[in-house]
Amino acid sequence: MIELKNITKLYRTKTGENLVLDDISVFFRARESVGILGRNGAGKSTLLRIIGGAEMPTYGEVIRTGQVSWPIGFAGGFSPSLSGEENCKFAARIYNADIDQVIDETRDFADIGDYFFEPVRTYSSGMRARLAFGLSMAIDFDIYLVDEITAVGDANFREKCQRAFDARRERSSLIMVSHAIETLQKYCTRCALMLDGKLTVYNSVDAAARVYDRSLKLKGKKESAQKAG
Amino acid sequence: MSTLSRGLSSQFEVIWAVMLRETLTRFGAHSFGYLWALLEPLLMIFTFWVLMTIAHRPAPPGMDIFTFLCTGIVPYNLFTNTANKVADSINGNRPLLYYPLVQPLDLVFARTILEIATYGAVFIILMGGHALYHHHLEVDDALVASMGLLVAGLLGASLGMVLCMLGQYSKFVDRARGFIFRPLFWLSGVFYTVAHLPEKARDAVLVNPVLHCVELVRAGWFKSYHDTYVTVTYPLLFILVLGFIGLSLERAVRTRIELT
Repeated sequence: MIELKNITKLYRTKTGENLVLDDISVFFRARESVGILGRNGAGKSTLLRIIGGAEMPTYGEVIRTGQVSWPIGFAGGFSPSLSGEENCKFAARIYNADIDQVIDETRDFADIGDYFFEPVRTYSSGMRARLAFGLSMAIDFDIYLVDEITAVGDANFREKCQRAFDARRERSSLIMVSHAIETLQKYCTRCALMLDGKLTVYNSVDAAARVYDRSLKLKGKKESAQKAG
Repeated sequence: MSTLSRGLSSQFEVIWAVMLRETLTRFGAHSFGYLWALLEPLLMIFTFWVLMTIAHRPAPPGMDIFTFLCTGIVPYNLFTNTANKVADSINGNRPLLYYPLVQPLDLVFARTILEIATYGAVFIILMGGHALYHHHLEVDDALVASMGLLVAGLLGASLGMVLCMLGQYSKFVDRARGFIFRPLFWLSGVFYTVAHLPEKARDAVLVNPVLHCVELVRAGWFKSYHDTYVTVTYPLLFILVLGFIGLSLERAVRTRIELT
């Protein structure tokens, strides 16, 4: 399970302080799949990095039980100059997993052919996503953090991702960030909505989606009113 | 296993993995990568050898020019390279911080260990090669010489850590680095010994902790050279103070490190 207590994150920018996360407290149960919905730049990815522990909150506390994955997304922890294989070795080493097994499983899942042995900088973003997703599946985590990644790739790959997660639902939980409602509907039972630095949890993806749509329309109206005025 | 020992072993795994990765990126890109670690000090030794021969300046009594220069240049390079590498440890490895298990200090420790190990090997190869060539090896006190090298590395690491953390506040720190290191080269006793300096000059250079490391290596290596001016406590004091500042800055900087 994961518990966030009063998480606040400020970024210092040239124009002053930017409040990205505003006093967020939330509880994620074990073995549940939760979506986090929000516009681009709403702070979803920041929240995910803080949940994982890659970034520290300015204030507040995160309590985790179980092995939490890194946020699986495009940015990834890949060193561009190293090959896919070498990057897998690194991850396997730090998570104390069987190196050969991780390499075999990732190569199998990513299905990028001999590119697996080429430097990651030569990869397309789709290939990076395949590698990142395959790698995270090869290492056993109790909680998977997923950042938009399943929205990429062809239908074939997306189906593969979903099957892999379905197989894991019994023992692992999932926290998935997206601005695509359809993706969240496929994966998640509960859904949280990120609006103006605040996080609200809804009991279904549809409920969160309705509020999300309304907020988008409201914002659209405001903007057109401002233009007219 | 207790929580502490589990934490420690997991941290060692991370540091080990980062070290292996660093070796790959630094030396693996070209097959002659590791040779460069040897060539760099060799080129410097050769340059000063030529200069000293032209200037008719002999090495101090009991030393020949090669070993004299090698015992100066290797600890000096160990200091500056560790400082520079550690100062760049966050900026050069930012993608790794994306893994929550990897913390900034792991990057600092990994680079420190790697530099000290590399230059320790370079020192053994150069001095060993010289001894083999001349069929003669005489070391006065190997422990003192090794301690000089170790302290040079740790001094570089602690200074590098402070610069690395300050660099998260301002880009200016990275640019100012050269200004710190350039004068140090002339003040570190690389091509002179403290015992043969005039008193006033001696008092001035003794302020520099790097000089103490260089002199320790020489005092440990050469039977004929006695240095009563330097102490190991002086650079150790610097390491303690800089280490304390660096670790405190790391705590302050933690929430500011951005991944993207």
